[in-house]
Amino acid sequence: MNNNPEKIPVFKSWTHWYVLVIAFLIILILLFNSFTGFFA
Amino acid sequence: MSSLDWTILIFALTSIILYGLYKSRTSKNLDGYFLSNRSMPWYLVLLSIMGTQASAITFLSAPGQAYTDGMRFVQYYFGLPLAMVLLCISFVPIFHKLKVYTAYEYLENRFDTKTRTFTSFLFLLQRGLSTGISVYAPAIILSSLLGWNIYWTNLFMGGLLIIYTVTGGARAVAYTQQLQLVIIFAGMFMAAYMVVHLLPEGIGFVDALKVSGKLGKLNVITTGVNENGFDWTDRYNIWSGIIGGFFLALSYFGTDQSQVGRYLTAKDLTESRLGLLMNGLVKVPMQFLILLIGALVFTFYQFNQAPVFFNQVQVNKVAKSSYGDSLKLMEQQYAQLSEQKKSVLTHWLKDNSEASEQQFKSLHKQSETIRDDFRKVLNKQNVSGDRSDANYIFLRFVVDHLPHGMVGLLIAVIFLASWGSIAAALNSLASCTVVDIHKKFIKKNCTEKQDYSTSRWYTFAWGIFSIIVAMFATNMGSLIEAVNVLGSLFYGVILGVFLVAFYLKNIKGDAVFASAVIVEIGIIILFWKSSIGFLWLNLVGALGVIVLAWLIQLIIGQKVKRAN
Repeated sequence: MNNNPEKIPVFKSWTHWYVLVIAFLIILILLFNSFTGFFA
Repeated sequence: MSSLDWTILIFALTSIILYGLYKSRTSKNLDGYFLSNRSMPWYLVLLSIMGTQASAITFLSAPGQAYTDGMRFVQYYFGLPLAMVLLCISFVPIFHKLKVYTAYEYLENRFDTKTRTFTSFLFLLQRGLSTGISVYAPAIILSSLLGWNIYWTNLFMGGLLIIYTVTGGARAVAYTQQLQLVIIFAGMFMAAYMVVHLLPEGIGFVDALKVSGKLGKLNVITTGVNENGFDWTDRYNIWSGIIGGFFLALSYFGTDQSQVGRYLTAKDLTESRLGLLMNGLVKVPMQFLILLIGALVFTFYQFNQAPVFFNQVQVNKVAKSSYGDSLKLMEQQYAQLSEQKKSVLTHWLKDNSEASEQQFKSLHKQSETIRDDFRKVLNKQNVSGDRSDANYIFLRFVVDHLPHGMVGLLIAVIFLASWGSIAAALNSLASCTVVDIHKKFIKKNCTEKQDYSTSRWYTFAWGIFSIIVAMFATNMGSLIEAVNVLGSLFYGVILGVFLVAFYLKNIKGDAVFASAVIVEIGIIILFWKSSIGFLWLNLVGALGVIVLAWLIQLIIGQKVKRAN
């Protein structure tokens, strides 16, 4: 039995970290799309 | 180069070697030499992952890529954050649980020795060759621009880092990468500042973006769709980036020992995961900023006379031939157009009129036509050397336009970026050779001291191999693409094997081995005979192995049933 469970930094679970990474990517793509459109 | 440039360059390189040697103290066994006793915190893992991926090619070719083709290359990295997430869910916990030295060790547990050896062999083949290109890429550019002897430059580029890589193993690699990245980012930031600073008075950052945007260089998002539908040969668009890039990143970070070896140095699973996820957060913006420097350099050259072709060594070679006069004529026309462009552009930025904009675009189109014709004439002459000039653009700008001191700093950046990725590659090549080949087939029972000594010798041998490959590498076009194309030829198949191992538990070693061999041959033929964008090879390779392994296993299963 594991008496020393993994301590996840900042969030309660790794799923929150995964959502953060994916959400950040989506935001970047949207920003890049606006950037492309704005300067085209 | 001035004496100040030489002082800065020598100081930066010597500091790294001494720092690497200082950090070389490690346990004299495989765990210490290849995995730094699994003791690294997440931020060192992150810097090591970034330092391994970002080679000199990244800093030389990427701005040139933006200059010639626009910023759409950044889409190539869109699959990376998604791959980081999947790695943290599936690959990394298994590698940590099994306490493996190499990713391929797991394949023997799951399948058999031949599957492990085959994937390890594919890795050694592609990583060995691409490390040679990583030595050659910056060496050829520096030697061309600064007139250095290519053989000596190759030797310095690939040789000096061997001192601390052989001595200190993974620990020295990780600590030097940390320092290297600090110098690299400082250098690139200063270069970006200087590009904007060198623009004519009254022309600011936003004006620079406006110019490069109007000429199609800020095309960060492209769909790959033209009047005939989706273009499968288009290399960089949002779909090839997300899907193809995802498979490439999954394969690179999940199955390439040069990366697996970095996050296995973490002190526990949490630190590995955190390092990878942070990489998923910072990689795309970082790459965007590097490409933006290329777009700014493009604007700079709209106000300043640019060479028609940035690789002057190639121009000089062809200038001696019967085409010399036509090259000279084109250079004169290009210079005249450049003067006109500058005047029209200044006018346009003041009056902001549609007519000026159209006039500028028309002049730019004419100068691009001359550049294309110039390139065609160069290619008509079958002279040896690098025929692409994308790799030369950024450094040509640095050497011609940046002040003393900055040139030395940015050449140091090229060396250090190169060393960071080559050192990690040599460490991983040695770990695979020792763990997957030497201890498996040559000498199984060794003492810790013998293992340590053998590992150092293999690190040294791979360093020599890379330098030899660099001596023979030539005519490969954009070198950042050459490395990625080489990876894509093998990564898909290796990834397919790992995906079968993780997710299709009913498929056994014989089926996956046969499918891996067949699909690898198929991928090489597909690349050779078709013009499919290379990122798709990763997807085709991975799915090909999965589907074929499943079919072969089905046939094997039916045969066994009949036999019973």
